[in-house]
Amino acid sequence: MASLLSSQFTLPAPKADQLSSLSQKHYFLHSFLPKKTNPAGNSSKSGVKVKCAVAGNGLFTQTTPEVRRIVPERDGSLPAVKIVYVVLEAQYQSSLSAAVLALNKTKRYASFEVVGYLVEELRDANTYKTFCKDLEDANIFIGSLIFVEELALKVKAAVEKERDRLDAVLVFPSMPEVMRLNKLGTFSMSQLGQSKSPFFQLFKKKKSSAGFADSMLKLVRTLPKVLKYLPSDKAQDARLYILSLQFWLGGSPDNLQNFLKMISGSYVPALKGTKIEYSDPVLFLDSGIWHPLAPCMYDDVKEYLNWYGTRKDVNEKLKGPNAPIVGLVLQRSHIVTGDESHYVAVIMELEASGAKVIPIFAGGLDFSGPVERFLIDPVTKKPYINSVVSLTGFALVGGPARQDHPRAVEALGKLDVPYIVAVPLVFQTTEEWLNSTLGLHPIQVALQVALPELDGGMEPIVFAGRDPRTGKSHALHKRVEQLCTRAIRWAELKRKSKAEKRLAITVFSFPPDKGNVGTAAYLNVFSSIYSVLKELKRDGYNVEGLPETSEALIEEVIHDKEAQFSSPNLNVAYKMGVREYYDLTSYATALEENWGKAPGNLNSDGENLLVYGKQYGNVFIGVQPTFGYEGDPMRLLFSKSASPHHGFAAYYSFVEKIFQADAVLHFGTHGSLEFMPGKQVGMSDVCFPDSLIGNIPNVYYYAANNPSEATIAKRRSYANTISYLTPPAENAGLYKGLKQLSELISSYQSLKDSGRGPQIVSSIISTAKQCNLDKDVDLPDEGAEISAKERDLVVGKVYSKIMEIESRLLPCGLHVIGEPPSAMEAVATLVNIAALDRPEDGILSLPSILAETVGRDIEDVYRGSDKGILKDVELLRQITEASRGSITAFVERTTNNKGQVVDVTNKLSSILGFGINEPWVQYLSSTKFYRADREKLRTLFEFLGECLKLVVADNELGSLKQALEGKYVMPGPGGDPIRNPKVLPTGKNIHALDPQAIPTTAAMQSAKVVVDRLVERQKVDNGGKYPETVALVLWGTDNIKTYGESLGQVLWMIGVRPIADTFGRVNRVEPVSLEELGRPRIDVVVNCSGVFRDLFINQMNLLDRAIKMVAELDEPEELNYVRKHALEQAKTLGIDVREAATRVFSNASGSYSSNINLAVENSTWNDEKQLQDMYLSRKSFAFDSDAPGAGMTEKRKVFEMALSTADATFQNLDSSEISLTDVSHYFDSDPTNLVQNLRKDGKKPSAYVADTTTANAQVRTLGETVRLDARTKLLNPKWYEGMMSSGYEGVREIEKRLTNTVGWSATSGQVDNWVYEEANSTFIQDEEMLNRLMNTNPNSFRKLVQTFLEANGRGYWETSEQNIEKLRQLYSEVEDKIEGIDR
Amino acid sequence: MATNSLNPLRHHHSRHHGGRHHHLRRRHSLDSPSSLFLKPTTTTTITTAQSLSTSTTTTFSLSPATSSSSSTAADAATATTPSPSPSSTSLDLLERHLAAKNFRQADEETRRLLIALAGDAALKRGYVFFSEVQFIAAADLKAIDGLWRRHSGGRFGYSVQKRLWDKSKRDFTRFFIRLGWMKKLDTEVEQYNYKAFPTEFMWELKEDTPEGHLPLTNALRGTRLLSNILTHPAFADAEAEGGGGEEGEAQERGDPAIKKGGLLKGLKGENASSSKPQSERVFKPDYSF
Repeated sequence: MASLLSSQFTLPAPKADQLSSLSQKHYFLHSFLPKKTNPAGNSSKSGVKVKCAVAGNGLFTQTTPEVRRIVPERDGSLPAVKIVYVVLEAQYQSSLSAAVLALNKTKRYASFEVVGYLVEELRDANTYKTFCKDLEDANIFIGSLIFVEELALKVKAAVEKERDRLDAVLVFPSMPEVMRLNKLGTFSMSQLGQSKSPFFQLFKKKKSSAGFADSMLKLVRTLPKVLKYLPSDKAQDARLYILSLQFWLGGSPDNLQNFLKMISGSYVPALKGTKIEYSDPVLFLDSGIWHPLAPCMYDDVKEYLNWYGTRKDVNEKLKGPNAPIVGLVLQRSHIVTGDESHYVAVIMELEASGAKVIPIFAGGLDFSGPVERFLIDPVTKKPYINSVVSLTGFALVGGPARQDHPRAVEALGKLDVPYIVAVPLVFQTTEEWLNSTLGLHPIQVALQVALPELDGGMEPIVFAGRDPRTGKSHALHKRVEQLCTRAIRWAELKRKSKAEKRLAITVFSFPPDKGNVGTAAYLNVFSSIYSVLKELKRDGYNVEGLPETSEALIEEVIHDKEAQFSSPNLNVAYKMGVREYYDLTSYATALEENWGKAPGNLNSDGENLLVYGKQYGNVFIGVQPTFGYEGDPMRLLFSKSASPHHGFAAYYSFVEKIFQADAVLHFGTHGSLEFMPGKQVGMSDVCFPDSLIGNIPNVYYYAANNPSEATIAKRRSYANTISYLTPPAENAGLYKGLKQLSELISSYQSLKDSGRGPQIVSSIISTAKQCNLDKDVDLPDEGAEISAKERDLVVGKVYSKIMEIESRLLPCGLHVIGEPPSAMEAVATLVNIAALDRPEDGILSLPSILAETVGRDIEDVYRGSDKGILKDVELLRQITEASRGSITAFVERTTNNKGQVVDVTNKLSSILGFGINEPWVQYLSSTKFYRADREKLRTLFEFLGECLKLVVADNELGSLKQALEGKYVMPGPGGDPIRNPKVLPTGKNIHALDPQAIPTTAAMQSAKVVVDRLVERQKVDNGGKYPETVALVLWGTDNIKTYGESLGQVLWMIGVRPIADTFGRVNRVEPVSLEELGRPRIDVVVNCSGVFRDLFINQMNLLDRAIKMVAELDEPEELNYVRKHALEQAKTLGIDVREAATRVFSNASGSYSSNINLAVENSTWNDEKQLQDMYLSRKSFAFDSDAPGAGMTEKRKVFEMALSTADATFQNLDSSEISLTDVSHYFDSDPTNLVQNLRKDGKKPSAYVADTTTANAQVRTLGETVRLDARTKLLNPKWYEGMMSSGYEGVREIEKRLTNTVGWSATSGQVDNWVYEEANSTFIQDEEMLNRLMNTNPNSFRKLVQTFLEANGRGYWETSEQNIEKLRQLYSEVEDKIEGIDR
Repeated sequence: MATNSLNPLRHHHSRHHGGRHHHLRRRHSLDSPSSLFLKPTTTTTITTAQSLSTSTTTTFSLSPATSSSSSTAADAATATTPSPSPSSTSLDLLERHLAAKNFRQADEETRRLLIALAGDAALKRGYVFFSEVQFIAAADLKAIDGLWRRHSGGRFGYSVQKRLWDKSKRDFTRFFIRLGWMKKLDTEVEQYNYKAFPTEFMWELKEDTPEGHLPLTNALRGTRLLSNILTHPAFADAEAEGGGGEEGEAQERGDPAIKKGGLLKGLKGENASSSKPQSERVFKPDYSF
């Protein structure tokens, strides 16, 4: 066995030279061709990698049950008993083996044969076959903790077949399907969930609550009483079941030995009549305190502490009152089965590091009770401990079964200390984990990383491995060390005084340019830092020498705004000598492969490494170095093997070891630390994010609307992510020509029948053309004769477009931490919150209520308005206006004269007390909606009142202070506050969601609507033909916010539906019949973002299975395009259909994005072909559900072939604050031009964007969306003036929008010339604007000018020579200005 | 000196019928019979192992005469009382194995000895808790180390490991790699995994057997046990020359203490096989890495 195992991983493939040849390639800076000349080197490299990751069956684990098989020497005189078991917990392996060996040694009663399977192994087809075969002659089957549906069904199928023949079937806490297999004489659970008897009700009830396993425990305790009332034979069987459970939970070899004796003696026919003596189970405490040296388990913390005080092996310091105390949460099964080496390791490490420990355990799956009982002083209500580490890996309540997060949060809130959930390997062996680029097994990520996050758990550090042969856990010494040091550091935060605490605030500079120092999404970073520091100072922290204003603060950190970033003129806080650097940075040599010897030339003066920043008392504000390879396209291509540069490492060495920070605060969304190479989840010693963050507690201000990337920061850089609000949204409003248009339309409405109608319409048409609306609305020629009806339609369509622009939400300006929006600023947000129906809460949307009063259905109105029916457009406008008016009236009444909300609750109840005075009713009484349903309105406004309170609450500073004081920060979901007001108030430790919970039924519903609209739209644009293939993108954040809508869209395109299991987890799909679908199954090419891959690998698995299933359906090709294409591809490539049906792609593990964004931002690309090659080389990694353990495998050929069939490309916009040009991600993943190049007919695919940001979901073309975005942001005075008011950072925001627009030109060609033209007249031709931009942030301004020139140079913008000349002049002017000041 | 005084303490074997598991019916036998325990004379100042100099070894001498039971009743309840029984701490077997170059058995025996020396509680538990190392007499550790060195041409033994550990800047990963206890994996990034016990270890003294390869103290429960052994006063003078982990070959020094014969000399001749029932009682630890 052992040799088999080791041979799989020892591939004698020296590949170092290949690697170095790759890293040398950056000589070919401006050609991407070399990559193609080296396919052999490339593929053999990935070949090697794949081999070590996939060994054997391609599954995640290579262990086999054979290590658990014990075949006794045949002894004819003894009857044979064969036991087959399936468990989640490998800890039973050694204990059971010991029990069986001991039994066989006695040579009495029977000879026992045993074989055990770990649930995860049953994925392997051969292993499963062996399992079924083993069952055929088994006497006894035992199962425990089988909670993965796919596998539970496999177990059920196999055992069911043999159930009648088996002498006994014992299943301990598992999914109900498997529980029902239980059989012990007359005792059976086949009725589980149905029977009315109180006995079974117990199980049934628990099925729907968290304490499933705990109720079993309770049952064990109470049952003896119940049994008295059962008929004796039945009672006997039930009693034996209960005893079995007790033996099992007792877990020790002795208990298991007696268990086997009892069961075989009672139920194996060959042993009938043989009296087999067995002892009663040795019982252990259900929950209590355990220490390896203690003489017993304690169920009283005082007794435990008394014992601790008498210990002679440790010094007085550890026992004294000044030692930090760390609580540990352990699983009892590990203790009783004797598989506790990893626990002991942690206890020893903590004690040796000077921390006292209180290790508590529980036998069930609910640890919240023990946490409260043993870790909180019942009298003072204060915790006994300073930080707590769960070593179980599980959510606090519910384990692998059904979780109860609110219960967990309640208990942890009372405990109020930092809560770390470390992870022992369960589904993988140590070596499998080390070899895997994915890192931790996806199921374990779902169960033991994602779910604990919902409890507010932090730092998923893999601290224990698993031995392939014994199944036992063992410590990973360096991981244990890091975990314990970090736990103590967190504990110290609780103990140290504010005055002595040292805090390192880290700001980002991305892309690397001085104009970008202090970048963060939606955040005015320096003003925020300033406000944080003022508050910390007031609170008692030492922030000596803080300047008077935030501008002065910027000045001092950047030192000289005009200077080049690369020049040492950023304030140098510390010069680190090379020798010192190597001393402090243990992993420095690992960086040399990519960067040579330190110091290198980044963040360096040639002799020393430079740390930029400035110190104020105990606070250091530092600038995080950048990736370092932005300027080097070859590195972008091969960044798979990249590493941080020496300057980057030096920064973190400085923070931890020289500045000696007690905590680091990463300021805003987002930096590059957490995106450094390494495993996806479950870092090892050689993963860079882990090495860099070292032992510093990490607090991270993160935008509330970005839970997906926040999750990456949480998992890879161990951050406590504290959410901040995006700036309050406002309606885009109208300006210039658009405003004129709206005036013309309103005069048309009043005068259309007066004979002036035609004239006004013709003005409308000409103005619309001036505004470039002709691309969006089909406009007749000016002066053409058109009928009154047609006139209405034209005006209606223009009107509808205008309304769409006007009511678009935009976040205005930048958020400042500690400055929540005023109530009036929250109105637009509230209006949008009010626009969504919330059937689950019984809340009807305001537009629905209003439409109802005039006898209309709001969906109807939306549809009419979309079509341009003037009457409906007008009605919708009135509804919108009435919504805004009534909500404004409501907000005014609940706020004080400073615009802040005062005491909403009281105000509200006084308002609600006197129905007559309801402000919204008052307001509506003067509109056509005066008869609106008051009851429904009241329900809605009560809800809005709650939301208002949350929007304006200020918890961001408070939570930060809590984190720094070593307190528990309340967890909460991230996402879109409009869809999910639970996101509010901000200042929560944000998390994503249970990845197995999506797509939800509601999301599936919305997905269908969007897919249907998309297909309809494409048919209209494409001569009535269905698209054969849609290429689309799955985003992490999008799917979190919408609970899997876009995931649902893919499923619906190919015509399958998700099936949820008993616990509501989605692990299965089934095809929808063609009849029901009513159209062909549409093929897809799914490009998953790197973040989606990290968060939702199970869903990638699900998608891949669904697509392969559809490709294999026996259906006509013209009705199943997946099958049609897969058959073609299989033939061309000479592979089977299943493999050809590979459609789910992403980056290689540990790498993110196509890097086209970096290339565009840095202008480091030659032509579009180059960008497309980047896309293909970075994004052609496929996930294969048939070999999930292989991780992401390069499958470029299939990727290209699949893309070449695409008729349409498609993306989703999920929330108002992030639109197409706000971030670079969207164009970065857009394949429109690429598809055109790949298609045999060279036809450009249609490009669509679904917009589900409002109640009225839209599918627009990409061109339309880009125009809409330009109109509402870049060209909209309201937007850019809002940005300009943020000063320095605002200029950068403007420049960013233009750069992203060029990105869209490059990847999709869907940007109209007028967009650049208008931008040029707004920002360059307007002298005053030009000067403001230049003076506020010259570096960003230079980039802006450069981008204009680039747009022209690359052929995306045709304009007058004059314009270009002026830009050239400006460029050299600003260059001189910057350089001049530089010298 | 010579202290592991040989008070026959057999009865402790039968005392805990529950093996190493703690019972729900707790504090049964442990409440009263402090008299069953032998006290160390070490009411003294055991702070940390590091602070003890080699000369303090006598502090630990155990003798039946000193087992005053009154004042230290609490000691009995703590699991740290060292009370090795004589036969279990004889070096005979180790020496025989080493002399026969049976390194594999010698390694097993060394581990068993370490547990036995750490005391009764460690025996019951089946492994040594890091904080118990301080109770092991320096002379005993030196004796064990001396045997290993003598029979390996100075290539094996704790003191050898101590020197290499210092040279590795006390970084255990580097140290383990150096000792050949970890193996390089074939992955894109350079990383190492623990070797599997026993097959992947080298049980012969050959040219390519890494220095310090044996005896093996596994990292199943982390590195604190080994770290305390290596920082035990017994090996205080095994420091690499130049200290502080400088890469420079430290001079091999003859250790007079070893020559003197070690503290367990007197045990020679005792029946070594009497350890057998004992190892049966102990839930056998698994030393695979």
